[in-house]
Amino acid sequence: MRHAAALLLLLCLCGLQIHAHSRSGNSDEKFHEEIVVRPLAGDHVNTYFQFTTRWHYGARDNLFHTQLTPRVIAEILQTYDVKELHISLTQGLWRYESWGYPIVEATGGAEVWAWFSGANLTSSSVNSQWNKLANVFSGVLCASLNFVDNTNSIAPKHTFRPQFMDASSRTRHVRYASLPREIVCTENLTPWKKLLPCGSASGFASLLNSGHVHNTKYHSLSLKVRTLCAQPDNCVVELTQTANLVYDLKLLEQSSSRDFSLRRLFGMGLNGFCELADSSKIYVQRNEQGQRYQLVPSPLEEVSSTRGGFGSVYAVYDMQKLSELGDRLFNIAWLAPKGERRQPSTSAPPLYAHRYLLGAGQERGRIVTEVTNTHWEPLPVLLMELVPWYVHTYLHTLRIRSKTNGHGHRREQVLPFKLLHYAPGKQRELPTHLEIGFQLPPQSTASISIEVDYLLLKWLEYPPDANHGHYIGAAVISSQLPMGRNYTALPVEGHLFKHSFNATRPGYVLTLRTEALIVGLPTPDFSMPYNVICLACTVVALAFGPIHSVATKLIIVERNTTIPRNFLRKIWHKIKRRAGSKNEPTEQEEPEREHQRVADLNERNDDDDRTATDYDDACVQRASM
Amino acid sequence: MRVKELSLLCIAFFLVSCCMGKPETAILPEAYVDAAQRSTHTNNWAVLVDASRFWFNYRHVANVLSIYRSVKRLGIPDSQIILMIADDMACNARNPRPGQVYNNANQHINVYGDDVEVDYRGYEVTVENFVRLLTGRTQNGTARSKKLLSDAGSNVLIYLTGHGGDGFLKFQDSEEITSQELADGIQQMWEKKRYNELFFMVDTCQAASLYEKFTSPNVLAVASSLVGEDSLSHHVDPSIGVYMIDRYTYYALEFLEKVQPFSKRTIGEFLQVCPKRVCISTVGVRKDLYQRDPHKVPITDFFGAIRPTRVSTERINVTLANEEDFCLDAEVDAAESVRKKDFKVIIESQFPIEFFK
Repeated sequence: MRHAAALLLLLCLCGLQIHAHSRSGNSDEKFHEEIVVRPLAGDHVNTYFQFTTRWHYGARDNLFHTQLTPRVIAEILQTYDVKELHISLTQGLWRYESWGYPIVEATGGAEVWAWFSGANLTSSSVNSQWNKLANVFSGVLCASLNFVDNTNSIAPKHTFRPQFMDASSRTRHVRYASLPREIVCTENLTPWKKLLPCGSASGFASLLNSGHVHNTKYHSLSLKVRTLCAQPDNCVVELTQTANLVYDLKLLEQSSSRDFSLRRLFGMGLNGFCELADSSKIYVQRNEQGQRYQLVPSPLEEVSSTRGGFGSVYAVYDMQKLSELGDRLFNIAWLAPKGERRQPSTSAPPLYAHRYLLGAGQERGRIVTEVTNTHWEPLPVLLMELVPWYVHTYLHTLRIRSKTNGHGHRREQVLPFKLLHYAPGKQRELPTHLEIGFQLPPQSTASISIEVDYLLLKWLEYPPDANHGHYIGAAVISSQLPMGRNYTALPVEGHLFKHSFNATRPGYVLTLRTEALIVGLPTPDFSMPYNVICLACTVVALAFGPIHSVATKLIIVERNTTIPRNFLRKIWHKIKRRAGSKNEPTEQEEPEREHQRVADLNERNDDDDRTATDYDDACVQRASM
Repeated sequence: MRVKELSLLCIAFFLVSCCMGKPETAILPEAYVDAAQRSTHTNNWAVLVDASRFWFNYRHVANVLSIYRSVKRLGIPDSQIILMIADDMACNARNPRPGQVYNNANQHINVYGDDVEVDYRGYEVTVENFVRLLTGRTQNGTARSKKLLSDAGSNVLIYLTGHGGDGFLKFQDSEEITSQELADGIQQMWEKKRYNELFFMVDTCQAASLYEKFTSPNVLAVASSLVGEDSLSHHVDPSIGVYMIDRYTYYALEFLEKVQPFSKRTIGEFLQVCPKRVCISTVGVRKDLYQRDPHKVPITDFFGAIRPTRVSTERINVTLANEEDFCLDAEVDAAESVRKKDFKVIIESQFPIEFFK
């Protein structure tokens, strides 16, 4: 036993040695860091960080020996049958109409989807793996991803496709969930940075300080893992971590000028590059909004790319070359010429979407999603809705109407479905899953509407802040564009930003996220039961005493003639009574005596004509039995 | 016979007089007394809970982050701190300083820091999760960072803050934990050998009522107010419009800020933090379950993770045999061959265009 342990230890040591050796040679594990800076319309700046670890690990057993890839990623690939995993944590809303398309797409809150594939994988085992996977990443990213379960997950049928699957793997399962309520703050950024080979100490990640990330208009952290296998024992795992930020220059200090620099955006200059990185490059967009800025220092090289008929120019700063020149803290400044106020006009992107809620009250409403096509060709549109179980949808009310915004004439028509997938929800068990495909005519807006009912929840199902409202996650809209205008996403086979240069393809797959909705479910006043109980108890208590008395007691008036009316005589009478109390009858005898008096009273009642004042304190209440 | 009785009585009297004359500890060997006072823990854990939601409870988040900041600074790693925060204050839309939470209107200390890790947040902060965490009965699949993996050698610090009353603490304004539930949870921890010593700290109104039901050994408890008293907040920051921090934690942080990892400060000194003239409430302490003298216990026994380290200059051979025997060249070859294999995959189409034709 002891020998076996020693052997194991030694094997581990040997394994480490082998890898130490291979690291010094041409390694099969490569790390790249990139920043893309794109000035946007309306004095906004988009900075996009991408950290890519690509590891050609070969067979599955090699996953035990990680170097640059975080251990947790290698372990989940071993433990679960997950082949592709996307997680994003986002705060804010991406404005497609003015900002164009982002490089990576994300919805507000948390969004997760994963592809599973393996031998003998059933749907229920995928469900359990999916829940466990969400739990793992809730710990890794300090997010409440553990709320992902079967009641808010769906298996999208058409909208999501695996980027790569073995030809041999016939069973493939996908799960998708979004948590629109999830907040994103430093506690998510810290563990996200810990997954990087250099951490936050050096390299581009050192710019991502909490104070300068969370003052943005939009920030999105994401993590993508995918495995690609040429043969079962010849595989690559890619971990891509991205941070997408949009700064509003008006909100930064010294807001008088439109100039900005890395130091102004991030609070500090760049302290070189991560030593473990194979490449560390900064790309600065020079066309569109970028053309009005002058760069200091001027870039050593510029790349121009044509993609889908549209050109773009990027200035490239290679940090590994620049640091040889010997700058301690590197800074890039964007200087706008003085007096220039006019900004280059921006063209609206070919496709964008919005979503809103119609109807008043807390009983029913209508969800409307508007998709606009500004292109001159019809576009295929695929819309995916995940409606939580507490909102009932009615499929028969689903309508797609399109309005054509032509020159002078407006035309309305009902669009036919190209495909429709509907999985009805089930209270407390399953969300409603809806996928619709249709062809959107050119220069027109389609509004997809469906009527919904809001459910009255059980008392304990309301969250602590029930009056905040409940969320319906964003709809996912997918399309294939014929041209590359505004399109900046990486081609699916590439893993670095430079792979998007000159990447002309027959079609450009675009996914958009709409706004998330917030619905006010009928929410009871939770203090009401307490109020009702208190009030009811008070009323009962107050009512009980008098009613009981009236119901069970007899009121008898006794005339006490012995008490004089005069005040002084009254006192004298009392003293006399006290003095003579020894001769008075005892308490036990009293009822008998009074009973007799009552009888006398009743007899004399008819001829009695005294006023009430004569009765003084002689009201004697006696039980009638 | 009578002589014998008398002599017995004399001896008894002598013994009694002996015992009365000297302090009790004198009978015990000195080494034993020392040993009882020595720290016996091997690791440190902290469970820090803010049980209140909503922006106007900013101060409770600042409270819990103050303690978090201190224990982290004094050496407890994030993996051994379980931080529960019921609401997000740092990135709250009402916070004019995003990503920052201060303990003071003058913004002396950003208690949120740059590298905070919150383990339970938002709706996850429930009584059920808290009791599951303490007793180690977390649900299947719970992430490792959300578990209290303490053992019989752990010194555990539990800090609670929120809105409380006589015998309960509210969680998220919707449920509450009672003092009996707390006592039962801690008793279960003791039975399951989940702590060596436990320091229970609570900052809430009528806080002392929460530790009254404790019966488990080795528990030292401190509360910001006695039963019948309110705990008060320290001051308002007009720029955010709410109270910044509570009095007791404010002065506790002030004390802890002066503590360095190897300082000689003791728990006894810490128990005297915030006298009534500054706290307005009376700080309650419960020592009867705790065996050591708090004035001899270093504060880092609970707020830090300082362990004595012995430096060895001797050579230690960790390998037993010749390591070359076990390193197989075949493995190296395998690694090489993977690299040489060319890698070509076909990426799938990402859009179901076939439906639209």
